[in-house]
Amino acid sequence: MGVTCVCQVPVAEGKSVQQTVDILHKKLEQLGAVKQGNFCVDCETYQSTVNAGGQPSKLLYVMHNSEFPLSCLALFEGGPCLVADTNFDVLMVKLKTHFQNAKGHKVECRGSRYRYCDFLIKVGTVTMSSSVRGISVEVEYCPCVVPGDCWNLMKEFMLSFLGNNVPELPTVFAAKPEGLFAPADSVDTMTQYLELFNKLRKLQITGSNVH
Amino acid sequence: MSGGPAVRISIESSCEKQVQEVGLDGLETYVPPLSMSQNLAKLAQRIDFSQGSDSEENGVDSEPRDGEWGKQEPEEEEVKFQPSLWPWDSVRNNLRSSLTEMCVLYDVLSVVKEKKYMALDPVSQDPTAGKTPQVFQLMSKKKSLATAAQLLLKGAEKLSKSVAENQENRRQRDFNTELLRLRSQWKLRKVGDKILGDLSYRSAGSLFPHHGTFEVIKNTDIDLDKKIPEDYCPLDVQIPSDLEGSAYIKVSIQKQSPDIGDLGTVNLFRRPQKNKPGTPWHIKLEAAQNVLLCKEIFAQLSREAVQIKSQIPHIVVKNQIISQPFPGLQLSISLCHCTGDKKINRSSPEKPKPDDHLYVLEHNLHQMIREFHKQQLSSVVMPHPASAPFGHKRLRLAGPMAYDKAEISSLQQSEGLLEKIIKQAKHIFLRSRTARTIDCLASRIEDPQIQAHWSNINDVYESSVKVLITSHGYEQICKSIQLQLNIGVEQIRVVHRDGRAITLSHQEQELQDFLLSQVPRLRL
Repeated sequence: MGVTCVCQVPVAEGKSVQQTVDILHKKLEQLGAVKQGNFCVDCETYQSTVNAGGQPSKLLYVMHNSEFPLSCLALFEGGPCLVADTNFDVLMVKLKTHFQNAKGHKVECRGSRYRYCDFLIKVGTVTMSSSVRGISVEVEYCPCVVPGDCWNLMKEFMLSFLGNNVPELPTVFAAKPEGLFAPADSVDTMTQYLELFNKLRKLQITGSNVH
Repeated sequence: MSGGPAVRISIESSCEKQVQEVGLDGLETYVPPLSMSQNLAKLAQRIDFSQGSDSEENGVDSEPRDGEWGKQEPEEEEVKFQPSLWPWDSVRNNLRSSLTEMCVLYDVLSVVKEKKYMALDPVSQDPTAGKTPQVFQLMSKKKSLATAAQLLLKGAEKLSKSVAENQENRRQRDFNTELLRLRSQWKLRKVGDKILGDLSYRSAGSLFPHHGTFEVIKNTDIDLDKKIPEDYCPLDVQIPSDLEGSAYIKVSIQKQSPDIGDLGTVNLFRRPQKNKPGTPWHIKLEAAQNVLLCKEIFAQLSREAVQIKSQIPHIVVKNQIISQPFPGLQLSISLCHCTGDKKINRSSPEKPKPDDHLYVLEHNLHQMIREFHKQQLSSVVMPHPASAPFGHKRLRLAGPMAYDKAEISSLQQSEGLLEKIIKQAKHIFLRSRTARTIDCLASRIEDPQIQAHWSNINDVYESSVKVLITSHGYEQICKSIQLQLNIGVEQIRVVHRDGRAITLSHQEQELQDFLLSQVPRLRL
């Protein structure tokens, strides 16, 4: 477990998604990173059928991450979050009278996993119902769990291969009551992924240009 | 009589007067009733005074009552004057009692007539002879005892007959009794008209895919005319053809063979088994199970030898696994399976090779595979309750705590059978070489005496020895050189008396030099 930062990389001018991803891979390999298999992060949306008071029903997101193979995360946007065993999926099936699975809204992010000393870099393509929406890059610095201590180091590292696309400090860390010095955990990682997925999902709806 | 409240009955004399005449205006004229005296007279005339019993109390003799009416009067008056007694009291009592008795008799008769609640039975006649003679009693008792004894004897005879029959059967080893014995030791099941059994370790936790099924057959090839041989058994088992014969795992450490082409099938077999057809079934089954276990051990070891990446790769050739625990040394684990065919035995020349088979390691291999079986069935791996997920208890936390792969793999078992056995072999070799070195030095150096005291209690991966270097005659004075050597898997740790610790590698020369360096210290 370490501090993770998830960001989106825009598609390079005049190139396809796959080509951009390949460019990133090449840069990482030039840096000296070693490919260590693949990763997959996915998110399913459930809609609550019990509608109290005419408010729009809350959406429940159930996410999986191959980095935590035996866990499953369930979260409401901006609300409480639950880390559970993989049997949670079975539980959701049993709760289908209360939570309906919005099958068309499943988002997946797949790609390769690179290791560079203490850093874990995952470059993946975000797809929603087999249409590619964008590219995500996750950088994890394993030895440290406090974002405030290692953010500068991570930023510098990301600069070396992302160039101008270096993101700002993720809002999940700043939003915590203790600020930057609260330990980061898997919930923060998945929250960042969720924000990214929602952003990419919204972009498609407005008809903007994202492959 | 019984039940129901008492009913009050009031009796009043009917005061109905006889109607003499009815007048024309409806007025009835009654006959005037009898006056007291007239009534009395009327009643008195009815009495038979010759029968009166109460009149004796009054002291009145029962004279014939032919007498005057007037004479009676004073008697009655006397009677009258007795308090609470009115003249007809005695009469009334008598009448009443007789009425009661009559009523009772009538009731009894009517009940008896119905024969539902009462029945008449003649009273048994008492024996006319007053006392039975004692001889008669004795005779009757004797007779009854004799009857009882006869019954018991009959029963005892039957029992003894059946016991004798049982013994006879057991001696003759009936098929069914043999089958019962077989069933008490091995798992059997009936499939169609065949009886099959299971000699695999699957129910004990093994995951080896061999079926291990044997068939129970009836041995009918006996000639009833000839005499039945001593070891004849009506039940025979047919074991699968690949488990025939006997097998064992040979573990040995040798100097490294220079040429890899030298590796061939290890055929050396020290324990030839005579597998003639008349072997009793329990021997056959045990041998077959042992073969199966050896095959499983070897399969597990070869699988690990291929899969696990180590610095010096292990070689798996035919029925041998060769690995290098130390440079210049070779550990070979081989499965020796002798099927009892005479041909194979003759083809390989039986050269007397030095017996370098390490029994301890073979035993340890068996123990480890059994431990592995037990672990498969233990509650740590088997879920409790049955709906719980498989795996280590700590792994259940992996989901909610979002463990990543590194943490999960640290929870799971890492060492396989091959690695364990190699470590054990390394330790055994190192220990024997250390012992040899120390003994060699001790015999070579005469002046300060080198003594080695080996500890009795060892581990598979660690042993210890205490080396004392003393001078003859000065043992009590010069106690300074006492070295504790802890022999591990690959290193030897030496601890001095004053606490200094040195780690030596597995090299023989290093230990020798070190001990030699300690010798002159004594002289100082």
